[in-house]
Amino acid sequence: MRKQLAEAQEIEQYLLREMPVSSRLVFQARMLVAPALREKVKYQRKTMQLVRWLAREEKRNELDQLFLRLMQDTAFNNSITSIFK
Amino acid sequence: MRTHEDQWLEEIYRNTLPRVAGMIYRVGGHLEMAKDIFQDAVIIYLEKQQQNKLPAGVPAEAYITGIARILAVRKLKQSGQHIPLDGMEGDIGVPADYYAPPPVAKPVLEYVKAAGKRCLQLLHAFYYDHLSIPEIAAGFNFKTEHSASVQKYKCLEKVREQIKQSDYAETVS
Repeated sequence: MRKQLAEAQEIEQYLLREMPVSSRLVFQARMLVAPALREKVKYQRKTMQLVRWLAREEKRNELDQLFLRLMQDTAFNNSITSIFK
Repeated sequence: MRTHEDQWLEEIYRNTLPRVAGMIYRVGGHLEMAKDIFQDAVIIYLEKQQQNKLPAGVPAEAYITGIARILAVRKLKQSGQHIPLDGMEGDIGVPADYYAPPPVAKPVLEYVKAAGKRCLQLLHAFYYDHLSIPEIAAGFNFKTEHSASVQKYKCLEKVREQIKQSDYAETVS
């Protein structure tokens, strides 16, 4: 794996807390003296947050579709709407 | 074709949504609020299931109703109302970032979505669905697990750089 990808892998291990404590401390020390590494960690964290955020949005849309489909069923529709009458 | 998860979801809607809707109605909520809270509770349940973090012996219906109750409490607290929690909620956790705003600005979000669709799917499979590299290799038709792993890091790097560049462009403009 080329160097840059190996670095992405190392940042991933740091962010997912999959690094042993000693390596974690060394990595944190490296970040302190290397702004470029710090920046990569910042944007990789954002990337992982974005993936999670988009996945939840996608799931909400899927569930909205399921809800709309089930609401076409009169018995189901009544079982929900009658609660709010 | 309907998957096992589709069938499970339909059953959960039929059995548990009325229960959650009744709870939301009793605290003064409306149908849309009940639907949103129920769906968020289902998503949180599925996430915990993927991460093997569900407590043993608690049926899905009870767990989802418990999460829905916590979400309703939070929502009503924001609007100044209050409903008491009962015993089980202490065992149930809502992910800290669940209602976090998007981590990037909307134009960046749209750009990343358009520019890196396949990469986002791959990263979704790994970071959200928690699929293993062999599963990803099979699902995305990679010849070897090594190439799936390399592609995952290439994608991570690509999306990371897209976010960084868009962030810079936004700061400058």
